[in-house]
Amino acid sequence: MGEARAQFGQGVVAGLPVVLGYFPIAFSFGVAASRAGFSAAEATAFSLIVYSGAAQFLAVALLAAGTPLLVAGFTLVAMGVRHLAYGPALMKHAGQGRTRRAWIWAFGLTDEVFGVALGDLARGRRFSEAFMAGLGLAAYLAWVSGSWAGALAGGGALAAYPAVEAGLGFMLPALFLALLLSILSRRQMPVILIAAGVTLGVTLAVSATAGILAGMLAGALTGALRRATA
Amino acid sequence: MRPEIVMLALAVGACTWAFRALPFRFDLTGLTPEGWLSRLLAATGPAAIAALCAVSVLPLVQGAAPPTPLGAGLGAVIGLWVWRRSVVLATLGGALAYGAVFAL
Repeated sequence: MGEARAQFGQGVVAGLPVVLGYFPIAFSFGVAASRAGFSAAEATAFSLIVYSGAAQFLAVALLAAGTPLLVAGFTLVAMGVRHLAYGPALMKHAGQGRTRRAWIWAFGLTDEVFGVALGDLARGRRFSEAFMAGLGLAAYLAWVSGSWAGALAGGGALAAYPAVEAGLGFMLPALFLALLLSILSRRQMPVILIAAGVTLGVTLAVSATAGILAGMLAGALTGALRRATA
Repeated sequence: MRPEIVMLALAVGACTWAFRALPFRFDLTGLTPEGWLSRLLAATGPAAIAALCAVSVLPLVQGAAPPTPLGAGLGAVIGLWVWRRSVVLATLGGALAYGAVFAL
């Protein structure tokens, strides 16, 4: 029990850089959600239940644009598919039978938590579920509290600070660009180029929602068909 | 709270949790790497992120954002990513650079 508690504490400490990064990003989500007509309770509930920054920012944008719920849901779920790759990567370090409580702590396995965990494991840390729980919980609390604070501050809170408002408004493109850079590889380049190209074309011709859906489908099909046609 | 917002959050949250947790329960490494399902799953995430990145940057380059802060913001995101390989640091640094140049 003492060992598990120590590992949990080490996980919390390892999560501090994520905590410092998550709070302001979550704050800007809360502000954006409030601006789009979400109540503070709705914005906080989204962070509590969904806990995925990219999906949450996109949900606000889609719902504010009047996208039908089914289309929004499909788009948001498709965004989350990338998380399927994280489990197998961690399993290589954990070994069989040492992830019995993964159904709990994997809820907090975000892009950054995965990155920190994998970095620590690569530097020689022994895999521990208590460490993963501490790391994930610290980041989760920062995300939820940041969202709540931003939603309470409200959409008009930053009107007197246009530079801060401008910076927070740039947070979403910055987040997606950083995520794109993080997955950039020679192998996925055709998928990325096709998805971006189709998205831009359909967005300019029809709408952003149609562009996102068409781009995602075109990119995914490119990935599935590439080897077969090569 | 609007019920449709809660329903959407529950549905997306359940799927996100499943994507994160199920690979620990069902070993997906057993999927043939060259199979079409593996390739489709591997491509869906990058395709989604590329589509969302394109849509979020398009209004900015179409004139919704002043060019100097935009250049500073994009440059900071790329530079910080190359330097530290951290999504959070690149995101925060990009927003900070955008806001700082905007204020000048």
